[in-house]
Amino acid sequence: MNTVKLYIRSMGMLLKCQMQYPASFLMQTLAQLIMEGGEMLALVLIIDRFGHLGSWQPGDLYFFFGMMSVTFYLTECFGRGVTGTFPSLVRSGQLDTMLARPRAVLTQVLCSDIDPRRIVCIAVGVTALCIGSRLSAVRWTFAKALLLCEAVAMGVVLILGLFLIEAIFCIYSVKSVELVNALTYGGRSACAYPVNIYPRPLRTLFTVIAPFALTLQLPAAYILDKPLFSWPAWTAFLSPLSGAAAFGVIYALFQKALRHYRSTGS
Amino acid sequence: MKSYLSVFRLRLRMELQYRGAMLGGILCQVFFGLILIALYRTLYASRPQALPLESVVTYVWLQQAFFRMVLSSDDELMDKIRTGGIAYDLCRPVSLYGFYYARIAAMKLTGSAMRAVPMLVFAALLPKGWNIAPPASIPAAALGLCSLTLGLLCVTALENISMGFTMRTLDFRGIRAVMNLLMTLLCGNILPLTLFPDSWQKVITLLPYAQLLDAPIRLYTGQYGMDAAIRVIGLQAGWTLLLILLGTLLWRRNRSRLTVQGG
Repeated sequence: MNTVKLYIRSMGMLLKCQMQYPASFLMQTLAQLIMEGGEMLALVLIIDRFGHLGSWQPGDLYFFFGMMSVTFYLTECFGRGVTGTFPSLVRSGQLDTMLARPRAVLTQVLCSDIDPRRIVCIAVGVTALCIGSRLSAVRWTFAKALLLCEAVAMGVVLILGLFLIEAIFCIYSVKSVELVNALTYGGRSACAYPVNIYPRPLRTLFTVIAPFALTLQLPAAYILDKPLFSWPAWTAFLSPLSGAAAFGVIYALFQKALRHYRSTGS
Repeated sequence: MKSYLSVFRLRLRMELQYRGAMLGGILCQVFFGLILIALYRTLYASRPQALPLESVVTYVWLQQAFFRMVLSSDDELMDKIRTGGIAYDLCRPVSLYGFYYARIAAMKLTGSAMRAVPMLVFAALLPKGWNIAPPASIPAAALGLCSLTLGLLCVTALENISMGFTMRTLDFRGIRAVMNLLMTLLCGNILPLTLFPDSWQKVITLLPYAQLLDAPIRLYTGQYGMDAAIRVIGLQAGWTLLLILLGTLLWRRNRSRLTVQGG
């Protein structure tokens, strides 16, 4: 419980710091809004031209897009320490101080940064979810709402795990590795659309290796009452747990990598 | 002119040093290309369009191959502006605008050429339906290349203008994010401009962003015929000259009211 309190304290402190430059903060927030708005505009234009994507109707597409945006930007907002600042911690040797403190490194890294500007991206995602649910006439039930929360939470854990892979590479090679972006940012772009439209290798990649399909899309399909794979309905409630499983494996590797860590000095 | 050329050459050599980062970048870009093509293939299967799928696939590959030309900015310069290091550059006996123009152009040229060649070879070897189509004709290829050169000059001029604004506001993150979005959206990187609503295309293709990659690609695929080529290249040249002129004026004004930070 102490850790949670620590996290909340740090977040409050960081927020206060960021609010010291209100003009810059506003401009960057606006830029974020335009950026995510641009992504959504592309989706609107695609729907305008093509109408539907296989068996998926416009409402479904908005819903999938919204799921991905909300999850991804929640991670970038609260997990900024892992998604953004970690490479510079390694390069500058600041990680050393973290190793000396009596808390888990991951906790400290998470406490080290927050990105409140992402709130507007999350808002765009929520808007897309609402539009999608309206257009597809989703019949909400308590179970579906619960499933949505589960999917988003597990999605955040999964994406955090994928960014940890980058952190692991970073510990070994000091430089950050662009290739890992294929899983994180590539996953975001690819899995804003239902995975069953992709050829088998891509589908396997995003189901087994980076299980976006299991954590986010199977629940989304259940909520929309449409099949993603021809699996029984109850699997939608269990499959998001794969996000936690993936995180667990990567976290173990991260711990191993930390033992290998050699400081860059200075 | 000679000094600008040597700035250009120096930067070119420096960019060539980062071959490891390049490989990762290429693989990442190829992966993005494959995802986009898979998406457009399914979209076309749902509802075929007047524009053939092959030309969309070619569009995607060319966009991915020259991605570095769209988005690469001189972070060093940004830092110099913030820390006051720009004072050293002011001491040089060359025009500041020309100095940075040459640097940025060299960065964009090497960055994209080193990635584009292997990527285009790879894209040509892919199975049918996924591969990049050959140019519509030999003159089309020549015109495309010529127009790509103009595109490079145009995007460099555009980037220099946003640098000029950075000198005024000091905080580049906001303006850069907005510029990047305008760039990726309006030059056709997020969604090919050929798939925008037809009425929008009439306006968008006239903007400077479309001169960068959209015009060369359309010349390459033969969407702009020989008769349109003169108009297109004229438009590109016109924008380039105008943007260089605006940039020079902006930098000259900046120079007269510049306060250097730091000690």
